[in-house]
Amino acid sequence: MSYQHPPQVRRVLESLVPVVCPPEAMELGLGADIVDHVALTMSVVPPLFRRGLVLGLTTYDVSAVLWWPGRGRRAHRLPLALAERWFARWEHGPTPIESELAKAVGQLLKFGCYEQPAMLERLGYRPQQWIDQVKRRRLTVYGDDVRRAEAAILAPDPLRPRSQKKERA
Amino acid sequence: MVALPRTALHQDRVPDNVSTRSTLHGDTVLDADVVIIGSGAGGATLAAELAEAGLDVVMIEEGRYYTTRDFTAEASAMTRQLYRDGGASIAIGDPPVMFQEGRAVGGSTVINGGMSWRTPERILERWRREAGLEHIEMPDMDEFFARVERRINVRHQDPETIGVDNALLKRGADAKGWKVIPNLRNQVHCAGSNNCAFGCPTGAKQSALVSYIPRALHFGARLLSDVKIDKILMHGKRAIGVQGHVVGDPATGPSGARGHRVVVRAKLVVSACGAIQTPALLARSGVRSPSGRLGHNLSLHPNVKLTAVFDEPVRGWEGVHQAYQVREFEGEGLLFAAVNIPPSIVAMTSHQRGAALGRLMAEYDRTVIAGMLCEDSATGRVRTISGRPQAFYQLAQLDAEKLIRGVALLSELLFAAGARSIVTPFAGVPALRSHDDTRALYTRTIKRSAMEVVTVHMMGTAAMGTDRTRSVTDGYGLVHDADRLMVCDASLFPTPIGVNPMETIMALATRAAAHVLDNLPRYQ
Ligand SMILES: Cc1cc2nc3c(=O)[nH]c(=O)nc-3n(C[C@H](O)[C@H](O)[C@H](O)COP(=O)(O)OP(=O)(O)OC[C@H]3O[C@@H](n4cnc5c(N)ncnc54)[C@H](O)[C@@H]3O)c2cc1C
Ligand code: SF4
Repeated sequence: MSYQHPPQVRRVLESLVPVVCPPEAMELGLGADIVDHVALTMSVVPPLFRRGLVLGLTTYDVSAVLWWPGRGRRAHRLPLALAERWFARWEHGPTPIESELAKAVGQLLKFGCYEQPAMLERLGYRPQQWIDQVKRRRLTVYGDDVRRAEAAILAPDPLRPRSQKKERA
Repeated sequence: MVALPRTALHQDRVPDNVSTRSTLHGDTVLDADVVIIGSGAGGATLAAELAEAGLDVVMIEEGRYYTTRDFTAEASAMTRQLYRDGGASIAIGDPPVMFQEGRAVGGSTVINGGMSWRTPERILERWRREAGLEHIEMPDMDEFFARVERRINVRHQDPETIGVDNALLKRGADAKGWKVIPNLRNQVHCAGSNNCAFGCPTGAKQSALVSYIPRALHFGARLLSDVKIDKILMHGKRAIGVQGHVVGDPATGPSGARGHRVVVRAKLVVSACGAIQTPALLARSGVRSPSGRLGHNLSLHPNVKLTAVFDEPVRGWEGVHQAYQVREFEGEGLLFAAVNIPPSIVAMTSHQRGAALGRLMAEYDRTVIAGMLCEDSATGRVRTISGRPQAFYQLAQLDAEKLIRGVALLSELLFAAGARSIVTPFAGVPALRSHDDTRALYTRTIKRSAMEVVTVHMMGTAAMGTDRTRSVTDGYGLVHDADRLMVCDASLFPTPIGVNPMETIMALATRAAAHVLDNLPRYQ
């Protein structure tokens, strides 16, 4: 993986897991895994977007110092109730920069959260089982048709240019 | 365990005439009749038709060659591998629109839903009228559509593959007395695995990867995967080849190191990179359109999704998605369908967070996700900044109103089907619980910035037309004011088409192939 969170970004993201993800995520101890997943996703997003996120998260963290209810603490040090309020301020921020950053970070965390096998298991979501079952059924029931269609893909059927068609007509 | 019959197309290995990053050991220089950049709906179709006619064709694809057995339900891993920018590309505007492009051999057809519809006749007629295109209407186009449908096996679903979510959508439409039709899809006994967006794990979906690509290779075309073309080589106004480099593994992000150089010299150069990448490639190569319209005219078919919770079990991942389309409002440019998506993407695109998100997701197995496609009236633009494309798109007020109306109509349908509550794509709008809530949507002020809009249909950025002062290419995709340079992808659409675009792109590519064969001496 070519992208690793800088330490300050990792700290902010970890502090945001209980704000953005459902309580089960913390109960299951998934905070670090979710933040790791965010790094995986960030490794493939456009570089400009990635740089914007890193810068935005750093600003989010540091600017909390100036917010009087936070009493000079950075965002990642705020207790949950205040962390909630600070994030909500960004969600409804005065400019699209704040709100879009909160949205993007929220999306990354929510995506990472519901990619965790333990979370999916809780939902009873087991798609691979279904895929294996119907894949088998397809070849058992329709095997002959499937092979016929595959053969047709390679069967000659040249495209006749318009000029040739006119000649023959 | 029962042994499954092996398939004839070797869907489990890379074919011999495909070069990949592990076989491209040094700089490569090739000669060909035709070089096609991009192996998606447009590129693969053109390659197969020209190769079968005996031309020496080289296809170049930035993405990897995946086999059917590589495709799994692991949404995150598949997204990182198969989608450009991990599926997180954004068109800047109010609201920002997230869009997705495929990056793999087979292009976006590998990850698309398989909906296969002809261009509506009213659109073809509009293209004739507004862009001056000839032989673009029925019956001229009929043979090209029919040929594509034969090649990619356009059919209705086997009934046993239709799941509860789609049955509920149909029940709602029937209850309202609205027109609902079975979808046409390119599939051979689709198994209903509901994995189309992450690659078809059964090989049933007839994406270019398992239809036009093997056909092109069978008739002698060569394919270089893992190669990104940086520029088209021009000699004056004449395209003479392409130059690019071998890329690293997209799933792990750019490594920073630049791979071996690849040059292909050819008598005809075709850009089939899709409506976002093609204008950037042409711009990077110094191609100028006398119309100044290269990269303009971007249409998106803005798309929004609703999450409807039912009392009964739905298990939307069991059964094909979009088995039906609600066509009642086609005249207004609105189509509805049930589009199950995995939990991570439902969560990601939902406005909820914390405990509220947990409550919504706990009902995932009783949820119908319904989506809506809107034929847009505004156009955006792809600008090329430091060689990379950046899309800009401003949702028109008219289209924003259309989206609100569409969400209200689709909610009516879902309540008629028995939905208990519906989460809309509009931030700040509480979950709808009754018809009254739905009706209230019409009078509520919903800002564009509150709308969660996505798209997978980007079109129009190198539009066809006979007037070279208003269009980028002629009626067959040949770039005005350039020689031996063709565009063959979704960029060509003069206007949005209001239905899923793949079949239109393939039919236009087939028509372009016939045009090349008709004028072969020009390309000797
Ligand atoms: C998730 C999803 C679902 C969809 N569902 C449907 C559907 O159900 N029905 C339908 O009709 N349409 C659907 N579409 C849209 C449809 O798939 C696309 O419109 C169509 O594939 C576009 O064809 P194209 O030839 O323009 O480009 P693509 O098919 O996207 O192919 C372009 C290829 O060019 C390659 N490329 C780009 N730049 C370079 C470069 N510089 N060098 C080398 N290679 C390059 C890309 O990697 C890509 O593989 C869907 C799309 C997506 C993403
Ligand atoms: S739903 Fe059908 S076409 Fe889509 S991935 Fe599953 S088997 Fe393939």
